[in-house]
Amino acid sequence: MNRDVYIIGVGMHRFSKDGIPLRDMYFTAGMEALKDAGIKFRDVGALYNGYIGGSMTEGIGFSKDLGLTGVPITHVENASATGSSAFREAVWAVSGGEADVAMAIGYDDMLRGMGNPMAKVNTKKKKMPSMENIMLPAGFFAMWAVRRMHENGTTVETYAKIAAKNWNHGKHNPMAQRRADHVVTAEEVLAADMIAYPHTAMMACAAGAGAAGAIVATEAWAKKHANGRPMIKVLASQSQSERYTDGHIFMGAVVGPSYSTEITSKMAYEEAGLGPKDLSFVHVHDAFPVEELMYYELLGICGPGEGDRLINDGDTAIGGRIPFSPDGGLIARGHPGGPTGLAQIWDATRQLRGEQDKFQVEGARTGLVHMMGAGSICVVHILQRV
Amino acid sequence: MPKMLPLEDGYMIIPEKAGEPCRLLGSYSKAAKKSFFPIRKLCPITSEPVETVELSPEGILYSWSFIRMPKLGSRVMAEGGGQGVGQIDLPEGVRVQSPIDGQMGDWKIGMKMRLVPNPVVTDEDGTVYCGFKFTPVKE
Repeated sequence: MNRDVYIIGVGMHRFSKDGIPLRDMYFTAGMEALKDAGIKFRDVGALYNGYIGGSMTEGIGFSKDLGLTGVPITHVENASATGSSAFREAVWAVSGGEADVAMAIGYDDMLRGMGNPMAKVNTKKKKMPSMENIMLPAGFFAMWAVRRMHENGTTVETYAKIAAKNWNHGKHNPMAQRRADHVVTAEEVLAADMIAYPHTAMMACAAGAGAAGAIVATEAWAKKHANGRPMIKVLASQSQSERYTDGHIFMGAVVGPSYSTEITSKMAYEEAGLGPKDLSFVHVHDAFPVEELMYYELLGICGPGEGDRLINDGDTAIGGRIPFSPDGGLIARGHPGGPTGLAQIWDATRQLRGEQDKFQVEGARTGLVHMMGAGSICVVHILQRV
Repeated sequence: MPKMLPLEDGYMIIPEKAGEPCRLLGSYSKAAKKSFFPIRKLCPITSEPVETVELSPEGILYSWSFIRMPKLGSRVMAEGGGQGVGQIDLPEGVRVQSPIDGQMGDWKIGMKMRLVPNPVVTDEDGTVYCGFKFTPVKE
């Protein structure tokens, strides 16, 4: 990066299925981030809106509630990695010198329809369903899980333990869509309805609505607005689309060949000048538990084939060696689409400041934030308390 | 037998003659010596031109699942409460995602699968528009 970049403010509206207008959620997330940073909207030099669904001018319309300041506004969309990509654009706006302060706001309602499987294409005769919609992400990840069971002997109990861990992490997160009122067990997860073998409904990410925002700035702005809190530096910002590999799948939902995570995280480690052993916690695209399991290995947290042992030993729970998804992840905190990656940034920033109370990772100093977007794209950020 | 046509051009061939296998259309890159599905405009590895080829109608099941979701083109849950889905490796080195025939317990990784038309929409004149699916080959 050309200039050092710091996160000076984060804000969220709780993820939910309560039917709260997205315009209100956007406003809350934006205002909370501005309040957290201690700045006004007129101080923002670039704004990136991340959303997947919605109409052409929706994001710009929502931003008018924050003010009419002439700030350049850009709409970013990268499927599940939309919020992460909007954040990355804000980071680059500051790093590259376009702005001293930049903001990313993500919002969405997964239930209002995106990537409609009924989408029609024109044929000579009439409109027909598109062949390209032959597979949904739930099927794609389920086949990852079955193949993993075949190759590594992973059991459905292991998948259930990962999901239960994340449900229990989300219990104390006030922004989580799913907040269990009891300790969730692997047995309870396994007893839920099967939706895509071997995944049950309690193993699937929570679909709902929400908003999250983050503000990044130069070191001078960060020092001025630290307000006695530790400064959070963006050590690395990396993104990669697909490269060809044997068995490459082009058609239907693809949410990243596994090597995408491996390559992108290696680039991020190199940029940050550190490695997996230096991390205090990790956020990943854990839409289904097989993903989290695979990412233990692909991010270099453990060796190939050793991921099952990590969850069975409790290493990835809060209090363990390297907690994953301490805010509940996509399974419990939720996955509305546009704001998901920024919700990760919200938690990671507050974890590094030591502000997460009952779901705090003690002594957190460095966090890795990973997101996959269908299509596909991988985004990795590494953040550090300085 | 009703007339069967692909939902979209450029993905598959459904022979008019009964008994002949339908085939997926892919691309072959002489520069990379690789095949791809569906058709590419250029070789994704070398950016050199590709030629359109018919891919083998049989392959090996790489992975599978049973998902409780409607079939392509439908909002109604399929008979049986869902559908099988699979990833099939063709001899050309191509991996294809597709619905698969059968129910839980019918599939085993490594089993042989054959491409067949998958009826999606029937027109007023009786023409059946099809996607594709794979069905287990009894050996």
